[in-house]
This record gives sequence, structure tokens and C-alpha cells, in this order.
Amino acid sequence: MIRAFVRSVGAFTGFALSLAASAAFVPGKPVELVVHTGPGGGNDVLARAISAMAEKENLLPVRFVVVNKPGGNGAVAANYLAEKKGDPNVVGLITSAWLVGPMTTAEAKVAVTDLTPLVQLVQEPAVVAVRADAPFKTMKDFIEAAKAKPGELKQSGGSLTARDSIMRQVLQNATGARWAFISFPGGGERLAALLGGHVNMMIVEPQEAGEHLRAGKLRVLAQVADKRLPGFPDVPTLKEAGYDVVLFPQMRGAVAPPGIAPDAAAYWRDFFARLVRTPSWRKYLEDNQFEDGFRTGAEFTKTLDDTSRQLAKLLQDAGVKVVR
Amino acid sequence: MDIAAGLAQGFAVAVQPLNLWWCFVGVFIGTVVGVLPGLGPPATIAMLLPLTHGMSPASAMIMLAGIYYGAKYGGSTTSILMNMPGESSSVITCLDGYAMARQGRAGAALGLAAIASFIAGTVGVVGLMLVAPPLAKLSLAFSSPEYFALMALGLSMVVLLAGASLVKALLAMLVGLWIAGMGTDLFSATSRFTFGRAELLGGIDFTIVAIGVFAIGEVLASVERQGSGQLQPVPRGLRNLLPTRQDLKESRFAFAQGSIVGFLVGVLPGAGSTIASLLSYGIEKAVSKHPEAFGTGVPEGVAAPEGANNSETGGALVPLLTLGIPGSATTAILLAALILWGLRPGPLFIEEQPALFWGLVASMYIGNLMLLVLNLPLVPLFAQLLRLPAHALLPLILGVSLVGVMAVSATVFAGLLVAVFGLAGWLMKRLDYPAAPLVLGLVLGDPMERALRQSLMMSQGDLSILVSRPISAVVLALAALVLLVPFARRLNAMRMRAVES
Repeated sequence: MIRAFVRSVGAFTGFALSLAASAAFVPGKPVELVVHTGPGGGNDVLARAISAMAEKENLLPVRFVVVNKPGGNGAVAANYLAEKKGDPNVVGLITSAWLVGPMTTAEAKVAVTDLTPLVQLVQEPAVVAVRADAPFKTMKDFIEAAKAKPGELKQSGGSLTARDSIMRQVLQNATGARWAFISFPGGGERLAALLGGHVNMMIVEPQEAGEHLRAGKLRVLAQVADKRLPGFPDVPTLKEAGYDVVLFPQMRGAVAPPGIAPDAAAYWRDFFARLVRTPSWRKYLEDNQFEDGFRTGAEFTKTLDDTSRQLAKLLQDAGVKVVR
Repeated sequence: MDIAAGLAQGFAVAVQPLNLWWCFVGVFIGTVVGVLPGLGPPATIAMLLPLTHGMSPASAMIMLAGIYYGAKYGGSTTSILMNMPGESSSVITCLDGYAMARQGRAGAALGLAAIASFIAGTVGVVGLMLVAPPLAKLSLAFSSPEYFALMALGLSMVVLLAGASLVKALLAMLVGLWIAGMGTDLFSATSRFTFGRAELLGGIDFTIVAIGVFAIGEVLASVERQGSGQLQPVPRGLRNLLPTRQDLKESRFAFAQGSIVGFLVGVLPGAGSTIASLLSYGIEKAVSKHPEAFGTGVPEGVAAPEGANNSETGGALVPLLTLGIPGSATTAILLAALILWGLRPGPLFIEEQPALFWGLVASMYIGNLMLLVLNLPLVPLFAQLLRLPAHALLPLILGVSLVGVMAVSATVFAGLLVAVFGLAGWLMKRLDYPAAPLVLGLVLGDPMERALRQSLMMSQGDLSILVSRPISAVVLALAALVLLVPFARRLNAMRMRAVES
């Protein structure tokens, strides 16, 4: 209660300050919205959606131009932003991958904290899904089966440093069970491997699994979330299922190039604050089953610090080589 | 729902004036995007996505899909005229298409590509309409081992493509495979062959390599030839601008075969249009009575791959609409668009959104017809480009090349890379190394490596998974058969010589 009050006061003063400051900087030419995926990737779609909402809700006097800088789990895009030092007409959309990249890749030299952090936009929950005809009815069934036959069960997922891979390591460490992890670069391929019965389990975004659940092709064993999602009221969280492990914090947020003027940074924080209050944004969160995770200013910086520390520990526990 | 009733409902949606208009806008933009190298349909659709929020989902879907299949029509234009593949699926078209252009038959090649695209595009829609749900289920039987086998079959086709020297073709392919290995490794997150440069963490884009070794290599070689061995200008007269009856007759099988192969490959979410065009070219060459003429400008060498990469779009919509599974960047962004509009592509989509599904199918019949009408008159126009003297044409090709590269990555580094690959392309031409195996190695290397490593993870390191699964065993056997073809030919030639002497 008190925390909520403090937070709202903080948000209000931040808002008031930014109102005062936003008189100074207003973008006068199209703004680059930099993402680290190609067209169709998660952040690319988010960027297109933000650009559409900004237009529909009249939030920005100019247009966004989405710039794709794919490669190296965000390293290429982070480099690009670092090169744009001081340019207030550039904004980047980040994910947790941007925090992981510099920890695990020597060539990725630009950390998120080297840029100008703006806001955190969403937190993404996930669910543990299996095929509807699989013998596992609960998370425990799966873990026990994996213990009985080490390495035989398979999970499809993304890269080794992505959430699904790290959560597997964490669960393996906590339970002593062992199962294989098979990387697929595209979400579609992962899901196809599960639906085709080539793998046994997948940690999937709720929206992606939603239609197959409705059609009775998949079953959800547990939620990778702190509290139950509105879309899955009957499915236990990992903790409720008896696996009290640290959850990989999957977030999306916004940053600006390093060294931009304080009024420009304030302008962008205010822009996103206005964005997340629109009905379009609410609907976007609902359609994608994202959790509202809006954080701004010092609170976001702190979140970044906490998240980075958590990630570094998770990576080390998971046995991933950490370079810095 | 009954197919006839569905189609009637679909046409009722598609012939609404507004939807006809958006269909036209889509295929028109698609044609333009297809002609320009570098700027592909994924980037275009992504750019236009925010503009669709005022449209009805049906209109928006009809337009965006129009861009998708429309782009495949134009894709062959720069391959045929400038030896510049704008998409990886048109690399194969360069071989016979550009050879035809050099003989003054650019018009015929472009016309054949347009006709093949129309036939195959329509076959793709028929397939989507008739067999989508059962085929989608079948496509799930394919997983990593099967995809590895398919990629192996594709690469073995390169042997079939080999010109004078098999060894040189294989060497070029190895370089392509090496370039494919650059970047961040998906499985271990370590970086490979990046030489400490962050620009290389994402690997090297296909467009940069293809434009370099094909287009710029050819420009440099033309400069060196200094006019000798120039492109033959297109002879005057409308008859010389379109395919002859003979061309069409020779391409009959290619039209049919390309359409079917393209559609079937398209249904598999992990395959892609490059492998579709490569397989159909390989099949065409394998069954041809004059396989040795392939690469010198035979009409069926243009018709087969161009057909295959068009019917592939119809196929690719199958897993997208019936499973919500995208197989390429373009279908991924179409999926995102559907979700953004609040529609839910998945197993229940056709049942719950019949107007949208059938409207899209009907619009694709109309759109393909529009594309034919739009593209055939463009053929003479484009073919006239080759009338330009070399001192105007070569800078034009260089200019288009740079635009293509900049569309992919507007950095100085990309400019340097394309220059390096241009020089490499020229050297390869001088030393008689074929360029296609290099580019195909690059395109197929990544999915092939991935599929192999995924398979081995599935089997805990046991290689037998590749042959113990029936589909992958059959496809691998086919690949082995293809590899034996050149040896069989050589044996045959030796025998003939022995008989003669």
C-alpha cells in the first residue's frame, strides 16, 4: 500500500517534471526506432505496434521509422545506438537479451547501462506446455519422468542464453532431473517440433500456445510467472507446483543513445508514460497476454541493476561461460 | 464447409470494390519490391503494417498477401537482366535467365518467368484451398532430420549444376558454407569467424554476397572484355520480346513440375523458397533429354524455378493459417499482423473466420490474374533496358547493386564487404569457378548445420537418426543418387569412347 503510494507519487512527480521539461525538446523529424530482430521478430512487431499506436492516439508530432539491426542477440543494435551518441531522434527497444549479450559475448561491448535507459514496458510471462496426448499431467510428472530416464526427454527452445534454456538449467539444478534442450531460431519451428511430437516440452509465450490450447492440441503444466495469469486461472505457477526457483526476468523496454540532453530523455520517458495509458496499449497487452511492467526513471535503472545481477547469477548457475 | 460454398463466399468478399483495390495495391507494390533487389517483402510488409489499422482485416490481409506473392513475380527481373539475384530463390534463375538475355532473348525469359509465375501461383492457391488442413498435419511429420536430408538433397543438386569442373563447384560451395558459419552460434552462443568485429556477429547477409559475386563480378568482367562478348541487344519487333510457341512447348513439364514441387516444399515450415526453386531446377535437369544444355539459356531452366518459388507462397500459407506456424520472415510478419488485428491464426482459424480465409483465397486467384496482366506489358519495357550502351548500362547495374546493399545494411562495412565479394566474383569468373554453388552453400549452409545438430541432440549423438526415420532416409537416398549422376555420366562417356576406339 505504502509502496504503491510512493510509487504513484514518484510517477506523478516524474510526470510533472517531464511535462515541464518536454517543452524544451520536441522531435522535429522522423524518429528511428531501433530493434535487434529482423522484420517479424518479437521486438520488430512491438516497434510496429508502438508506431501504429503513436499515430492512432496522436502521441508524437512526427513518425517513427523502424530500423532493423539484427545480429548477436542485440549487440549489433546496441553498437548502432552507441554510434548515435547524443542524437535525440533515435530510440531503441531492448529485451533481456541485451543484458545477457555483453555478459556472454566478447565482441558485444556496449552494455545497456552505457546507453540512456528510458523505461521498462512489459514483463513477459511464459507457460510450460506439452502435447495434449502426453503422459504428463503435472509438472511433477514431467520432472519425475526426466529423472527416471535422464537425457531422454527433450525440450525445444531458443538460444542457449534465452529464458527457456536458462529455466531448464535452473529446474535441472533444483531437481536433479536431466533432459535435452534443442535450439530452434524461430518460434514457429519450436512449436512445430512440439506439435509434431519430435520433442516433449516447450516453455512458450501464452499467446503463442493459446490457439493450440483452445483446439485441444496442447496442455499447460505450469506457469513461469510470479502469480497466475488471467488467461490460465487453473494452472499453478512453478512455485505452486512445488518448484520454488528464481524466474528468468523477461522484459522489454526502451533506451536512447548515450549522452542525450536531459530534456530529450525526459521527453521520451513522458512519451512512453503517455503511451502505456492509452486503450490501444491495454488491448495490446491483453491480446499478447503480457504483464504490465511499466517502470521509469530511477526505478527502471534499479530494475536494470537487479535484473542484470539476477541474470549473471542465473547464467553462472546454468554453466554458461560469462566473459564479463 | 463445402469448398464451393466457401469459394462463393470468398469471391463475394474479394470482389467488393474496396478489396479489389487493395488487392491491386498489394500486387503492384509487390511487383515493385520484387524488382528492386535488397528491399524484400518482409521489410515492406513491416513498413506498411502500421498503415493498416484503419482497414478491415480482410482488406489488410488481402493487400499484405498481395505484396507477398506479388514480389515473387518481379524477383526474376534483375536476375535475368543484370545477373543480380534480389532474393535467394532467384539465384537459380540467373543461370539460364541471364544466359538467355545474353543471347538477345531477355524478353522471352521474362515472359516465361511471368507465365510460369501465373500458372504456379494459381496452382498454389488451388492447393491451399483443397488440402490445407490435412497437409498441415503431414508437414508436422517433418523435423530436423528430415530438414537435414532436404538440405543435403539441395546441396547435392549443386553437383548437378556444376559446369566444367566438379571440384571447382565443390570448392565454391565450401566457401559458401564457411561464410554461412560466420556469426553467433545458435547452440553455444559463441561467436565464430567474426575476427573480433561486432558487425560480423549477425553473419553476412545473403544479398551482399549474391550482389557481389553475381552482379558486380559480371560488371567487372564486362569492363575487362571491353565490348567483346557484350549482351546481344534485343532484336526489334514484338515477336522477339515474348516467348515463342517452341519455348512454351519445351516448358510444359517445367510449369507443372515447378508448381507442384514449389507448393509441397512451401508447406514445410523449415524449408523455404530457395530449396523449392533449386529442387525443381534439379528435377528438370535430371529428366531433361538435353541436360548438358542447362545453364546455356534453356527456357525450362527459367520456367521451373520461377514456377516453384511462386507456388511456394500458396504452400507457406498452409501452416501459417492452419497451425499459426510461420516458415519465413514474411509469414512471421503476416502472423504478427493477424495477431495485431485481434485475429487468432491456428487450428480453428478457417472454421471461425471463413469469410477471411476464403476471401483471401479468392483474392489470390484475382491477384495472380492482375499480376499477369501487370507484368506481361512490362516485359518489353524491361527488355529495352539492354539496348543501353555498356557505358550507361554498367553504371546502372552498379547503382542498382548499391541500392540493394544499402537497403539491407546502410553501413560503410557493408559497402566494403560487397566490394570484396565483387572482386571475388570477378576472380572466380576468370578462374572459371561457378558462383551459384557459393551462394547456395551460403543460403543452405545455416539451416543444414542447424538441422544436423538438432537431430544429433534429439538422438543424443547417434547419427543413425538420419537414416532410421523413413522420410529422411528416402530423401538422403535421393541425395546420394544425385551425387552419383556425374560419375555415371563419366563412366558412360568412357564406355562410349572405348566402343568408338
